[in-house]
Amino acid sequence: MKRLAGLLVIVLMLALVVPGCGTTDEEPTGGEVSGEEIIIGAALCQTGIQAPLDEPALRGAQLAVDDLNAAGGILGKKVKLVAMDGKSDPVTVGNVAKQLVEQGAAAIIAPSDFDFGGPASREAQNAGLVGISPCASSPLYGSAALGDKQFTMSMWNTTMGAVTAEYAYNEKGWRTVYVITDDFIDYTKSLSRYFIIHFESLGGEVFFEDTYTQGQADVSAQLARIKALPEQPDFIYISSYMPDLALMIRTLRESGVTQPVVGGDAYDDPGLFEALGEQYGSDVYFDTHGFLSDEANPEYSGWAERYEAKFGDAPDAVWIMPGYDVVMLLAEAMEIAGTTDGAEVAKAMEENTFELFTGTLEWSDAASGHEPNKAAAMVELVGGVPNFLGWVIPDSIPAP
Amino acid sequence: MIDLEFIINTVSLGSLYALLSLGLVFVYGILKLVNFAYGEYIMVAGYAMHVIGQNRGIPWYVTMAVAVLFAAVVSYGTELVAFRPVRTKSLTAMLVTSFAVSVFLQNVVLITISPRARAVPLPAFFSQTLTLGTATIPVRNLVIIGTTIVLLIGLTFVMKRTVLGIAMRAAADKFTTTRLMGVPANLVISATFIISGLLAGVVAIFWVGRSASVDPLIGAAPLLIAFIATVMGGMHSQIGAVIGGFVYGLLFNILSIMLPATMISYRDAFMFVIVILFLLFRPEGIWRGGYTEERVG
Repeated sequence: MKRLAGLLVIVLMLALVVPGCGTTDEEPTGGEVSGEEIIIGAALCQTGIQAPLDEPALRGAQLAVDDLNAAGGILGKKVKLVAMDGKSDPVTVGNVAKQLVEQGAAAIIAPSDFDFGGPASREAQNAGLVGISPCASSPLYGSAALGDKQFTMSMWNTTMGAVTAEYAYNEKGWRTVYVITDDFIDYTKSLSRYFIIHFESLGGEVFFEDTYTQGQADVSAQLARIKALPEQPDFIYISSYMPDLALMIRTLRESGVTQPVVGGDAYDDPGLFEALGEQYGSDVYFDTHGFLSDEANPEYSGWAERYEAKFGDAPDAVWIMPGYDVVMLLAEAMEIAGTTDGAEVAKAMEENTFELFTGTLEWSDAASGHEPNKAAAMVELVGGVPNFLGWVIPDSIPAP
Repeated sequence: MIDLEFIINTVSLGSLYALLSLGLVFVYGILKLVNFAYGEYIMVAGYAMHVIGQNRGIPWYVTMAVAVLFAAVVSYGTELVAFRPVRTKSLTAMLVTSFAVSVFLQNVVLITISPRARAVPLPAFFSQTLTLGTATIPVRNLVIIGTTIVLLIGLTFVMKRTVLGIAMRAAADKFTTTRLMGVPANLVISATFIISGLLAGVVAIFWVGRSASVDPLIGAAPLLIAFIATVMGGMHSQIGAVIGGFVYGLLFNILSIMLPATMISYRDAFMFVIVILFLLFRPEGIWRGGYTEERVG
């Protein structure tokens, strides 16, 4: 009896701890070491629950360093990327960032999430360095919460929610929605919030705000509530992420819910496209950071060839691009500033417009939070295949 | 709300959880070890389906059979490599070993395949639905029920009528005495792990079948469910595990439709409260097993 109770406590504790465990450690990547060099530190999470976002970004960053060095480096110096695993643990991410600073990093790439990336940015800020996250979309990610040298390259959730709200209301003429929000992390909750605010401000009606928790692996309750509605909604907004997202959409479709499903950048996952397949992979719309085609980026083919030459496979997910862009953007900012000094680089980032694979980007100044003004790529799934609809900048953006 | 759709979905969920719990209890019965690597047997079967599924020419039943066998092989492999060397040590050593195996297997797929979820191709009938009156029922749910019935009958036969099954039941009751009677311990324990792995493999087909994708951490949720279900049903008997699985499925679905939307996130909390109540007032579970002695190596 006591043993069972003890075991249960152990299980519950490990349920929290185990995802944080993983392999270690330091691996110098990209770029040869020779003489004077500029070090870019990547405190990305190569293992654990954050790895699906960060690991592809790291590959992108490695490719960018190769491209930079082939073109002569930054400010005439070789670039070296040092990556250390943040292991999807905020404390480890902070420690790793600190170590990277000690190793002489000129800038820190932080994990793509406010909770995981924040600690890296705080360490960068303490050291007077620029910290930048490839894909953290929380409106908290900026100068207000993290310091005047901290940026995210992603659109905020304010934009991400607004783009799909406008697309649904203006382009599609949909007026009513059923919202299911995954309440496991801040990203999904805040994305739903801004989508709802914007959709209602346009004149749309939210029938119901339902919740789901990642890991429950069952949507029968939500399904029953949708079916019990007196009037069916025009579409369903699901703010969740893989792996459960595939299960949610499949379950709805299997049970005869045929309305379009709309969501944010977490949908941009080849695993989801394949899991939905030809049968269920239609009438799904989302906005994301980019698209793997020449249509979205004229230089895509050349980039993809270089990627394949380095890693052996074609680019598998859009999440590689922000990692590439982050390094290229830092390089451009350092060239403009003429130095790697954190304050000067941050100033260059605030004052310039950057043309990236993931869209045109401008930041507001530090006083107004480093709010990113960035276009979103609108994508539709047809028979399990993503189809690029275009770059979209929303008419208005809800206040963070 | 309690209509045909609810009943069939509940029975199918209960069937899945019953198989899940049974796989965990087989090993617990003999080694008194809660095998925390059990969820990873489900994961490796899922990845086997993913990898084999890359080749579209292979029929689905071959893919599934290989996946189930692969889970059994991995389960047997972990017994040989990890659990056998520490079997004569303390229970804590075994427990920690099972965590190590779990983390090891997770990281193997994370490094060799991908940290991202991967799609698993499924046969068409897995995604079809039947309409019975007003109820829309995935065909898969009916297949789960059928599979469970067949497996339970098969396992009952093995346990009651074969020498191996009798040896396993004897070992679960009094391991030392069983060994004194000349039953080889290694054989019984290996057989236990293989059956446990086979069950995990079958569960994997249906667990993965709901989302059609697999990721390195997919084993965590089923492990927790199996653990809770066996605590409720009774850790000391296979019948208890099956009952626990069905009770869990029933409670889960009832909570799903009874709880208001704002409370649905607390469904797991309600489940944990029920488990705590069981531990307090009926620690032996719903089905009281026979006498069992402490674990011996």
